[in-house]
Amino acid sequence: MDYLIQGIVQAFTLIFSGDPETFSAVWATLASSGLAMVVILALGLPLGFVLGHADFPGRGAARTLVDTMLSLPTVVVGLLVYALLTRRGPLGDWDLLFSIPGISMGLAILGLPVVMALTATAVEGLDRRLGLTLRTLGATPGQILATTLWEARFSLALAAVAAFGRVATEVGIAMMVGGNIKWQTRTITTAIALETNKGQFALGMALGVILLGIALLVNLAVAGLKRLARE
Amino acid sequence: MNAPLYSLRQVRQEYHGRLALDLDELDVPERSILGLTGHNGSGKSTLLRILAFLEDPVSGSVTYNGRPAGTRDSALRREVTLLTQEPYLLKRSVLGNVAYGLRLRGERDPALAEAALDMVGLAPENFSLRSWRDLSGGEAQRVALAARLALRPRVLLLDEPTNNLDRESADRIKDAALAARDAWGATLVLVSHDLPWLTTVADRVLTMADGRVLRHP
Repeated sequence: MDYLIQGIVQAFTLIFSGDPETFSAVWATLASSGLAMVVILALGLPLGFVLGHADFPGRGAARTLVDTMLSLPTVVVGLLVYALLTRRGPLGDWDLLFSIPGISMGLAILGLPVVMALTATAVEGLDRRLGLTLRTLGATPGQILATTLWEARFSLALAAVAAFGRVATEVGIAMMVGGNIKWQTRTITTAIALETNKGQFALGMALGVILLGIALLVNLAVAGLKRLARE
Repeated sequence: MNAPLYSLRQVRQEYHGRLALDLDELDVPERSILGLTGHNGSGKSTLLRILAFLEDPVSGSVTYNGRPAGTRDSALRREVTLLTQEPYLLKRSVLGNVAYGLRLRGERDPALAEAALDMVGLAPENFSLRSWRDLSGGEAQRVALAARLALRPRVLLLDEPTNNLDRESADRIKDAALAARDAWGATLVLVSHDLPWLTTVADRVLTMADGRVLRHP
């Protein structure tokens, strides 16, 4: 039991002393997740809008596919992206394996269905009079898209936060695609796994505390946004 | 009599095989006021949506300003605007709602939106910054009308604009609609169950039933 208490004490020491190894992992996590979120939002918001708003053949099947992808195992995504980025893979020339952008590619695949599904649900839940009203005011299709997304802004922010929570806390993709390279691609989750295997509980716990802090912030944001979205 | 702004010939509209509108002939002169009355489901709202270029009829011809017109010509929706029975307000301030259509057209002068609020009897100094959720039903309807008046539309289509409203709001909406015709010569098409009002203000009142015009004086 003592080693646990010692680990917790050392964890806070590492955090408050600004330990470079700890914050290197934090930086790698935020960089890979942040880059992935740019891609996720750029693709997920318009695609989710189309999924929730447009009426096209196969829409039901597309919705089922996206919903199914919500439970994609992270190691499967990691395996897929690894196969794409490895030297022998179709994207091997991009030289992205064991890099932050490589991890981000995998995280984008993981988070995209989250934003698409939640955006589609948010758009479906909007008042049906909205589209008609915008057309009576002379809005073009592009202006209808922009205004509709703005009307659902709190629900969409909720989708973004949920996706961030999913990509920032996963371990399979970061481990397989990133390679867990110290000072470069070692994220919070891969560092925790490695340090625990090495018996270095302090660093593992320090990173665990930071990850819990991120999760807490994400959940607080989700709760606040849910309240705003209901109003 | 002015030249017709709208000319509809043999216009039929159906929804899922059910006939909703069957008009042999309808001309709407520019700057005129056309009143439409009739029971619910008689085709009034369908006619308004066709006049607003929000939907095309399954058959027949619609000409606007002397040219064939329909939903494909989206520029026409910048001249024609419709106030529906239960208008939707955007989740923003009153001024944000009234200025929305103006901003779509690249116009950012708040004075135009404030003038429209004045037209519907809502003092800009009291209402501009108020949230959409802090409005009564009558105030919300007046804000929705102001959003359309601000655009100074060539055609203003009103679908039962005074339904379920208090007397003051109803009177304000009626006055503002007529002011649009007087101020910039808007053509008005008014759908209402308030026959005394329609017969007083409209140049012509049509009664509809089962998608057809019953009386065409």
